[in-house]
Amino acid sequence: MSQARDAIFAALGPSQTQSADILRHADALLDRVAALRPNRVGDDLADSFLARVTGPVIGASGQRVTGVESVPDAVRAYLLAQDQPPSLALQPHAKLLSLDWSGIETHHAIAVDEAVAVCFAPYAVAETGSLVFRSGADMPVLFAFLPLHHIVVVDAASVVAWLEDCAAIEASRATPRNLNLVTGASGTTDIEGALVRGAHGPAQLHIILVDPVLPPAEKLPSHVPATPDTSR
Amino acid sequence: MTTAFIERSNRALADRNLKLAIDRTTGTARTKRAAAVAAWPQFESARDLGRDIKDHVTANLAHYLSEFERNAIASGAHVHWARTAQEACDIVIGICRAEDARSVTRAKSMLGEEIGLPHAMADAGIERVETDLAEHIVQLAGDTPSHIVWPALHKTREQVRELFLAHHTDPGALATVEAMVSSARRQLRQKFMAADIGISGANFLVADTGSICTVTNEGNAELTTTPPRVHIVTAGIEKLVPSTAHAMSLLRLLVRSATGAELTQYTTFHCGPKRVGDADGPEAFHIVLVDNGRTKMLTEGLAEMLRCLRCGACLNHCVVYRQIGGHAYGGTYPGPMGAVLTPVLDGLPIAQDLPKACTLNGLCEEVCPVKIPLPAMLRGWRERAWRDGLEPQTIRNGLGLWRFMVVRPGLYRLATRIALPAIRLFARRGWIRSMPLAGGWTRHRDLPAPAARSFMDQIRSQGR
Repeated sequence: MSQARDAIFAALGPSQTQSADILRHADALLDRVAALRPNRVGDDLADSFLARVTGPVIGASGQRVTGVESVPDAVRAYLLAQDQPPSLALQPHAKLLSLDWSGIETHHAIAVDEAVAVCFAPYAVAETGSLVFRSGADMPVLFAFLPLHHIVVVDAASVVAWLEDCAAIEASRATPRNLNLVTGASGTTDIEGALVRGAHGPAQLHIILVDPVLPPAEKLPSHVPATPDTSR
Repeated sequence: MTTAFIERSNRALADRNLKLAIDRTTGTARTKRAAAVAAWPQFESARDLGRDIKDHVTANLAHYLSEFERNAIASGAHVHWARTAQEACDIVIGICRAEDARSVTRAKSMLGEEIGLPHAMADAGIERVETDLAEHIVQLAGDTPSHIVWPALHKTREQVRELFLAHHTDPGALATVEAMVSSARRQLRQKFMAADIGISGANFLVADTGSICTVTNEGNAELTTTPPRVHIVTAGIEKLVPSTAHAMSLLRLLVRSATGAELTQYTTFHCGPKRVGDADGPEAFHIVLVDNGRTKMLTEGLAEMLRCLRCGACLNHCVVYRQIGGHAYGGTYPGPMGAVLTPVLDGLPIAQDLPKACTLNGLCEEVCPVKIPLPAMLRGWRERAWRDGLEPQTIRNGLGLWRFMVVRPGLYRLATRIALPAIRLFARRGWIRSMPLAGGWTRHRDLPAPAARSFMDQIRSQGR
């Protein structure tokens, strides 16, 4: 080991506390979290998530559809509304690959100036309105950062309440190279504090929340995009 | 105070554009933070928890450093150690040379600024591309950051437009801030993809996974750390947290205190290089852990400063920072947190003026998300400067005279009774525009006229 390492540990001195006691103390600190978290989450986690993400602070757009088979139609409608040609980078995820994308040209290698990409998020966090991505063979990190329009499909049933739930899920799995929490479209306030979207990452984030098909299917309200907060 | 600081402050105070630029950004930041805090009734308890998490780590730093190192190595990362800024730069430059890197992208990191990485890379002849929009502006201007969250806060939109017109390949008319942001996006896209190495800092080092966490709103960190074949992280050893769950508690505090949002747009945990079969990501992942005075702070009574999350709230609320901006401080870190840190990094003889450029109004401690007792620490530096004999003789004589008076209350009251009417001779409508011996104050602002009678006289006449 390096001299610098030895010198730093020497300066810190020998540990005064047993490792088990340190761990116990660290856990005890987390026992305080539940009582002081900001009260952000209602009974319907998916509703809370969608309200937060389409609210004035985050300013993304979102909708709820029933059945994953409805996703390509929702994407087609989005492309039409945004005046985008029917071509997109499709994350090579089994759930997305199994859908019928007829009428849309899809590719899996994302271009540097890709206009639209469609991704699947394994879960989302209601408290903060965050989508969670785990890098891997079927989730290239750049899919969440290169496109101008980022469309994300997420199962309504997969929404968790708190950031701590995300930490607990990840603690039980093999850690990926990147765990990305995406909360809204890219933005910057670096010039005179004025908020501008699409700084380096996506300028628009659109979320398609998928409810399972239930017999009899009940129609759920769709959320309209809120006006982005321009005060920042 | 030494002339260098006074000169820098005077230059800043005379710059009307600067005052406007500072007011625009810090004003919005204060408003948004206040709203975020008001929407969280348990914010006070959350600050206590944030403080306790950081103190727990500081008290067990050796334990968490070895745990982090072990887990990072297990994930495939290379862990390097640096005692000083020079050692840290040497390690980074060494990796760049070993990888034969021609172009390096960098995501804003205050630790990188602290260790002088931009200079070291220039000296080594390596192309450095700053990717944070503000750092890009600062780099084009050949400038240094003036705020730890908004490094280009001192630039007006007109100045940014001039810079982009001169340096961007396809700027267009740049009539709006939106057009300027788009131009920077076009300019930097190819740079992201062409870089050999990406360098980032870390907001947190997670001990139980060996991950590092970055937070950005632009998405430039991930575009910096994903396409190149090597990702290098430079981080201070105080950035440790026990677990991802602990990081979450601190993220709630950090983001609200910095920008007033609940979470940054992109909060990313990076762990090891790309895995076998991964679609993208770097083949090598290096983490440089930097001391640079931090272990010394532990032994010199400055441990509380190691709680600092670098949110910038103390800067945005500081009445001194809001007048003189960041450059006047002359160090890497400005504002109240900078006035505590710079004497550690640059030495008290050079930085002794910074702790004195403070009204001790206590706002910085009130807004600090981890309750760092900044005013007490600044007073500590003042006392140290006095003990070390750093005060000029004129100040020592003046304070000696003042002490002579205040321990003799009768004499002190007599003196104020004589001085008050004399000072009031210079006042017009309650304000003094200039007065002998007060030029340092009145050059840039008026001095409020004192009351006609002293506090003690007024109390006495009310029969108390």
